[in-house]
Amino acid sequence: MKVLIVDDEKPARDRLRTLLEDSGAHEIVGEAANGEQTIAMSTSLSPDIVLLDIRMPGIDGIETAHHLNALDSPPAVVFTTAYDEYAIDAFDARAIGYVLKPVRRERLERALEHASRLTGQTLNELAGDARIESRRNHVCARIHDELRLIPVAEISFFNADQKYVCVHHSNGEDLIDDSLKSLEQEFAEHFVRIHRGALVAIDSIKMLEKTPDGKTRVVLRGGTQEDDNDPNDELIVSRRHLATVRRRLKGG
Amino acid sequence: MTAAPDSNNKETQAYLPDFCAAGTVFVVVLIAELVAILLTLAAHDTPGLFLVELARNSLFILWLAILSSVVMCLFRAKLESAGKSRAFVLSFLVLELLCLILAELSYQLSLFFPDFIMIHDPHYLFILRTVAISSIVIALAMRYLYISSEWRRSIVLEAQARISALQALIRPHFLFNSMNTIASLTRTDPQQAEEAVEDLSDLMRANLGGSGDRTTLKSELEVAAIYQRIEKLRLGDRLSVRWDVADLPMRALIPSLTIQPLLENAIYHGIELLPDGGEVNVAGRRDDKFLEITISNPVAEGEKRTKGGNQMALANIRQRFELAYGSRATVEVQDSGLAYAVILRFPHDENIA
Repeated sequence: MKVLIVDDEKPARDRLRTLLEDSGAHEIVGEAANGEQTIAMSTSLSPDIVLLDIRMPGIDGIETAHHLNALDSPPAVVFTTAYDEYAIDAFDARAIGYVLKPVRRERLERALEHASRLTGQTLNELAGDARIESRRNHVCARIHDELRLIPVAEISFFNADQKYVCVHHSNGEDLIDDSLKSLEQEFAEHFVRIHRGALVAIDSIKMLEKTPDGKTRVVLRGGTQEDDNDPNDELIVSRRHLATVRRRLKGG
Repeated sequence: MTAAPDSNNKETQAYLPDFCAAGTVFVVVLIAELVAILLTLAAHDTPGLFLVELARNSLFILWLAILSSVVMCLFRAKLESAGKSRAFVLSFLVLELLCLILAELSYQLSLFFPDFIMIHDPHYLFILRTVAISSIVIALAMRYLYISSEWRRSIVLEAQARISALQALIRPHFLFNSMNTIASLTRTDPQQAEEAVEDLSDLMRANLGGSGDRTTLKSELEVAAIYQRIEKLRLGDRLSVRWDVADLPMRALIPSLTIQPLLENAIYHGIELLPDGGEVNVAGRRDDKFLEITISNPVAEGEKRTKGGNQMALANIRQRFELAYGSRATVEVQDSGLAYAVILRFPHDENIA
């Protein structure tokens, strides 16, 4: 089994490496110190198992696991954690692989044996229940074989395009695998649904304006949609959502 | 305030109010005088002689009140040893007896000095009335004093309980991470592992030791420095701490375990969540009578301080500052979103001993 070790603290990585080398049953393909590195290395090295620290700066362990899920053949994830009061119970309940620090050899081996693939649903519930405050800060787009992380702060809107959801962000557009419904739930605080197929970042809305045919549409800051081919259809606020959009814009 | 927070060990065990204390005696006298006024007002036929009548009533009741205080002051320790409810029953009986003696004495005196002390009632009726009135007043007064002393006591107790509970709480996250680091160092750098174990022991000892006491700035800063050393092993170059404390008098007193938990917060909520780490700044200033210590750290973008741990440590420190200094100390928080600072400002006290 190919194992990737992820922890932002060097002594913690050293410890895992020592234990794995002692047992000799697994091949260590690399060490990563943060979420971005983990995603890049998982793409290039395709490990079978990722030993993943939960509390890391930037993209934390749970968000990283989320993004790993988007890979073609996602690695199994075993979380490592020193102590997250709320998380432990959630882990137990869902039989998700985890080891507690200080890591015990037997416990690590058992976890590696039982390592299983996590579903996005489980991760969502974990983040929600475990209160590790892991609302994602990025969404993950797959371009060919590579994963690209798009900071949520740079996204102006999502719209559903038949099968895929398209992310419109400051550097262009990308397709992602998430459903609009789950995105709406996850980012409810900062995004608002304007019609059945579009979710707009509240902060990026400049104003609402009337179209010549009496509909209301969203005008974005920076005016990117003037360049779009068909702006009118994309950002028309449906009658059903109009009241909510107005309320959210007023800060409600 | 009758009791200073630090001299409170005895006070917290007592359930009878302290009648030797000036505050309590004042309350007793006040109650006595109010009762005298009440009785005089209630007397139906003396509109012209109100003040004379009041003086007479006051004379009797104040004597009773002051003697009661003296008796209670003298016998408090004995009465306390009888147990809570018995102590109150006994005190009540002692005071009633005192009242009875005084009433009888007054009656006898009135026979000798009929001009000076006028008692219109027959003997038995006078005694009965006095005892009835006094038993009601004594019961009410004791109840009042009991409740108010109980209330003060509960505040102190509550604060002490919270302090000890919170002080025992070294963040588990820190403990287990440190243990993991030590486990790792045991192989890679045994000498450093040894030092880490020693440091961690010192830190635990400091955590278990001073419950609510004040300590010198010197030793408080030492504890914080030990903490920093342990965290440095784990976080490496990501953590740096700037100590700008040369201005501070090292002999000055500060409630123990205040700087270390704030440094811990700064690292846990600030530095640890910054991909490239950062610098915690501990700066000390002094002016005439006050010392000011600021612990500040950079904060990762979008990171919110809503975690329980942080609030708890801060609330704990606030409470202990209040207990130690009253309103003379402040604990201020500045949160700009990208930087976070806690500013402690407290009176400059030095250890005289």
